Amino acid sequence: MSAETPLPEDDRALAGEYVLGLLEPAQAQAFEARMSRDPALRALVAEWAEGLVPLADGGEVPPPGTTWLNIEQTLFGNEAKSVPFWRKLGIGQAVFGAIAAAGLAFVVVNSGLLQSGAPLSTTAPAMRADLGAQIAAQDASLVVAALYDSSSGEMRLNRVAGEMPSARAREIWVIAAEAAPRSLGLLETSGVTVIRVPEELRAQMAGAVLAISDEPLGGSPTGAPTGAVLATGPVSAL
Amino acid sequence: MGDREAFAALYRATSAKLFGTCLRVLTERAEAEEAVQEVYIKIWRNADRYAAGGYSPMTWLITIARNHAIDRLRKRRAQVMRGEAGGGSDEGGGNLLDQIADGAPSVEARMIAEGEAGRIGACLGELEQARSEAVQRAYLGGESYADLAAHFGVPVNTMRTWLRRSLLKLKECLSR
Repeated sequence: MSAETPLPEDDRALAGEYVLGLLEPAQAQAFEARMSRDPALRALVAEWAEGLVPLADGGEVPPPGTTWLNIEQTLFGNEAKSVPFWRKLGIGQAVFGAIAAAGLAFVVVNSGLLQSGAPLSTTAPAMRADLGAQIAAQDASLVVAALYDSSSGEMRLNRVAGEMPSARAREIWVIAAEAAPRSLGLLETSGVTVIRVPEELRAQMAGAVLAISDEPLGGSPTGAPTGAVLATGPVSAL
Repeated sequence: MGDREAFAALYRATSAKLFGTCLRVLTERAEAEEAVQEVYIKIWRNADRYAAGGYSPMTWLITIARNHAIDRLRKRRAQVMRGEAGGGSDEGGGNLLDQIADGAPSVEARMIAEGEAGRIGACLGELEQARSEAVQRAYLGGESYADLAAHFGVPVNTMRTWLRRSLLKLKECLSR
């Protein structure tokens, strides 16, 4: 990945300093701001993190049983408290499941779609995606990669795992913060789904959650999801 | 399976590893226990941000644990330093200062033997010993350039220059 466009020497050392925690807070902030705009820099940081992480390997030492009890108590002790919307939708489930399954869906998004020659770029002209999501079922039985271009409002989705039933539809939803889900349309039964995100939703795409629900043919008759939420994924910067 | 069950499964699969990481950095068991609890609370709360970093799942988790343990280590060190600067040379603080200020003695104990940590171990082995030590002091001891400069008895700028040079060599080796 980094072989294509070698980054300046400075950045290679800087990324290492960042991962080691040697940058001053202001430097680190500036670096993070650059990183959020620069995929190559992000990849470099990931390489450093992967390279150094064996040093942090202290072997496997089971923590005492009270540790889990304390965590549970802290997180779920007051169950009555309002739960973030994404959690109700099972985002956590999707994310933890994906991690536990060694990040299958994650790898699909990172290794497939974002490079040239991937399914998306061969079927449609290039887009300048700045946001992306992996909309994945917890068990990876349905994985849809989504790319979004903020400048044009165009979203492209590609089903990378899972079947499409013939008698049901798969509807795509966007959930911004605590708002009710808004439909973005139906997933094509094959190939790439191209969606023009409505103007009023564009500003909220970053940080939103995408979800796919099971609906009757033609889509939800009510404007809200009526069937099971099959897959979810947070939208994040690329 | 709901979020909580999934999270419990994740905990079961990874907690020994992350506790090992906290112990490696903090060395004290009681503090590592507190740290690993906080780490899982962070993981739960930041789960929606797991994406787009390009980290493998285990690297993401271990990095959260390492960073959190380092934060604790730095806070502990800062407290000790403040205690001393304020002229309060109470015994406990003084002892702790000896332990920590002179470059976390446990860092040496934690040093990896060549080859033990795979690629990074081999690549650190290609550096001069002091430079390899500096990288590990930063990564596992959370030491700043100022700490490192004091430990190696060189000006901060010199420290920065040679560490950056070492990082370039290290990166070159890791990418080979």
